[in-house]
Amino acid sequence: MLWVDKYRPKTLDNLIVHNDVAQNLKKLVTEQDCPHLLFYGPPGSGKKTLIMAILRQMFGPSADKVKVENKTWKIDAGTRTIDLELTTLSSTHHMELNPGDAGFQDRYIVQEIIKEMAKNRPIDTKGKKGFRVLVLNEVDRLSREAQHSLRRTMEKYSASCRLILCCNSSSKVTEAVRSRCLNIRINAPTEEQITKVLEFIAKKEGLQLPSGFATRIAEKSNRSLRRAILSFETCRVQQYPFTNNQAMPPMDWEEYVSEIASDIMKEQSPKRLFQVRGKLYELLINCIPPEIILKRLLLELLKKLDAELKHEVCHWAAYYEHRMRLGQKAIFHIEAFVAKFMSIYKAFLIATFG
Amino acid sequence: MSKRSTIVVSSSEDEDKDGSFNSKRGYSKCKSRRKNPSGAKKARISGSRPRLCRDSSVFDEMRLFCEEFGEGLTGFKVSAGSSRCGGKELWVDKYKPRSLEELAVHKKKVEEVTVWFEKRLRTSREETCNLLVITGQAGVGKSATIHAIASHLGARLCEWNMPIPTIWQEHLHNTNSGIRYTSKLDEFESFVERMRKYGIIPPSFAGESKSPVILLIDDLPVTNGNASYRRLRNCLQLLAQSTQIPTAILITDYGKADSADNIATARCLEELQLSLENAGACKIAFNPITSNSIKKTLSKICRQEQCGVTADQIDLIARSSGGDIRHAITSLQYFCLKPDPKLSLSFSEPARTYSKEKSDELNPLDDGFSLPFGRDETLSLFHALGKFLHNKRESENAIAPGQEAFLVSERLTRLPLKMDAPERVLCQAHVQARPVADFLHENVLDFMSEEAIDDASAVASYLSDSDFLLAAHRGMFATSYEAGNVLQSAAASVAARGVLFGNSHPLASRWHAIRRPKLWQVEQSSLHNKCEILGQRLVALSTSNISVIATEYIPMFKWLRYGASGGFEDYQALIQGNETELDDNDSMILDEKENEISDDEIEDW
Repeated sequence: MLWVDKYRPKTLDNLIVHNDVAQNLKKLVTEQDCPHLLFYGPPGSGKKTLIMAILRQMFGPSADKVKVENKTWKIDAGTRTIDLELTTLSSTHHMELNPGDAGFQDRYIVQEIIKEMAKNRPIDTKGKKGFRVLVLNEVDRLSREAQHSLRRTMEKYSASCRLILCCNSSSKVTEAVRSRCLNIRINAPTEEQITKVLEFIAKKEGLQLPSGFATRIAEKSNRSLRRAILSFETCRVQQYPFTNNQAMPPMDWEEYVSEIASDIMKEQSPKRLFQVRGKLYELLINCIPPEIILKRLLLELLKKLDAELKHEVCHWAAYYEHRMRLGQKAIFHIEAFVAKFMSIYKAFLIATFG
Repeated sequence: MSKRSTIVVSSSEDEDKDGSFNSKRGYSKCKSRRKNPSGAKKARISGSRPRLCRDSSVFDEMRLFCEEFGEGLTGFKVSAGSSRCGGKELWVDKYKPRSLEELAVHKKKVEEVTVWFEKRLRTSREETCNLLVITGQAGVGKSATIHAIASHLGARLCEWNMPIPTIWQEHLHNTNSGIRYTSKLDEFESFVERMRKYGIIPPSFAGESKSPVILLIDDLPVTNGNASYRRLRNCLQLLAQSTQIPTAILITDYGKADSADNIATARCLEELQLSLENAGACKIAFNPITSNSIKKTLSKICRQEQCGVTADQIDLIARSSGGDIRHAITSLQYFCLKPDPKLSLSFSEPARTYSKEKSDELNPLDDGFSLPFGRDETLSLFHALGKFLHNKRESENAIAPGQEAFLVSERLTRLPLKMDAPERVLCQAHVQARPVADFLHENVLDFMSEEAIDDASAVASYLSDSDFLLAAHRGMFATSYEAGNVLQSAAASVAARGVLFGNSHPLASRWHAIRRPKLWQVEQSSLHNKCEILGQRLVALSTSNISVIATEYIPMFKWLRYGASGGFEDYQALIQGNETELDDNDSMILDEKENEISDDEIEDW
């Protein structure tokens, strides 16, 4: 079992990171009826861990008994019926799913599933009508239509069903949905916190941790706890008695991006642009999200760039990132950014070095 | 006999030399109808037939008959009508070439075909293959050539015309009267079978039985799907191997006028031709008729009809016909029918300028208004793309500075394009915006000069704009189709014009292959990978976010696996551990195969 899963806190008690949030949540869940929740924060900050812990707090250990189901939903959309297949993870008390997987038909999923969940609401041991919890991941990937219908269904079925929404950026969730939820921001853990977690794991695993090693991992982790733990485990597998100057195993795609960046810096020509496109395709084939590619590429380029140009390059990166969100095919926009950068950089080179 | 045998035996002597010769097409069709033994209606038509030329009331009866067969047979109606109206028949039929000299087809081609037939007719029943394949686009005189040659050689022409399609009402009628439906392909097959077994059935009148016979198969049956295509091919190969009489197969070339759905048909036809050639058939390809010979034919017709059409107008008709002489003649007839005052006015203007400047020659064709004649040119997708990518421009700005409505800065001016407006080209190519953008994106960098990164950047930004427009289209699609349409064409226009404008230093023209967008393949494999990750993420991993898996877990697994000596086992153990952890849920099904797939996938990295 991966350390990330092995040392995932199961309850809301004694957390190293976000203990304050957890305590508040615990109070909320135990003392009164729970409102809809919206967790948002950067990846690797512990949103999912908190959600699982809340579910456990609400329903006890039975919330851990989950089954994976590949369910087909038959949806009657006026003139035709749509068959949608979606993988869900559910226990008797909750159901978790990624509505974003349904693509542009996500709005039907949202409506239909909530309706169905509300229909067969469970009755708990005391004969009181209970409610089920629906965990929706990646709400920010939902289309605007889906978010609107989410809002309607939220209102209609709020008596029998609670929603826990989870997303990276709340800015992509509509105001209407946000205002109906209790928004909980989960910050990225600080490097000190990450170091603390890594030390905790090392202690549990019985590992000798040279001083400063955990700090180094934490620095490299981009403030993502998951990433820190994963790379910690990789280090462990690679070389055990840790040495202080041990190389961190880099992520292959990040290396690839920095390779692209140095390609771009070396030569600026349509031909090179074409080669870069090929490499970008390679990344896209491996499901690296285009936003992350663009961001990483910008960071890599900025490292090597004259301060004079940084402002302009950032501007264009932001411009094409926005375009990419609005557009359909990411490669068009990433490539436009690369071309723009090449053009700017070449002009700069000519101006400075003649 | 099939229910509607359409072998029309029309000996060359049949062709009267005077003008009152009935429209051949109409005639043959009437005849084929007459043979049709399907019910009472046929009796009526065959009864009415002898009176046709005398009685005007027959016309109504005829029309009634036609209407009963529905609108699907408009061609039939027209020809039937024309056969009655004496002098007012179609010029296409009236001026059908009767001798080799009258043919507008290139002399050499005609000669080639004639020589072939002569050789076959002289030394028939030999080992050589008796099959001739003539290809060419519509209206280049394939059938006319064969007819003329047949009459030149004094041969009897046996013609297989494709049977008229069965329309629904007729089909119902037929089934009611107990006639089974046979597909056109069936009919063709049985025809070929008969041909092989019995040869041509000798005509009833004995006198001509000595004259040689030419079999003409005018266009092949339409095949749909692989099975029927294979049947047709086998059938034709049989024919090629066993035919005793010289046979000409005419295949209309759709190669030029293809839209996406025609490509498959065109490919099938090409394959057919190849297989026939392999079977020993001789292939002769007819080119579109040159505008000069069309002009010659047209002016001859004009002389005979005594209509005052100027040479310029004939020239225009000839050039706009695109090498289709049948179309050119029909246009001429239509044009002579009712000379449009507005049109002749617009003619006179460019006519004057012709002699002065050669470069403006094409102007009247490119003018905004549509001529009452001329085929709408269609372009293939690749042709259109080639136009955009090659970006051919005039060498100098032809427009005088005074004519320009506004001045743009040096940086933004471009030389005039050597083609129609991009929108027009797009329209002619009948393509959707998305593939255009994809193709342009894939290929445009090949057409840029080595140093022009600024251009590349401009083009890339336009393509990005175009993609944005297309995406906006998708969102709006549900609400308004019209708006979506406008956005689509706007996006295509932005992509095409962006490529044309941005690429300000196009490479000198040389041969480039246009690639299929790699993007499509990338999208597919990306989707595939995504599905695989999705398929197993809830099973093996605790997180569900695909980007997290792709960016963090998978690279990590790779390290875990290859990093140390025991890496692989460790990784297996990790998965195993997860399995056992999850296995205590009874409903948990963990597909072993799925894990294998995931291993492979990671290996592929």
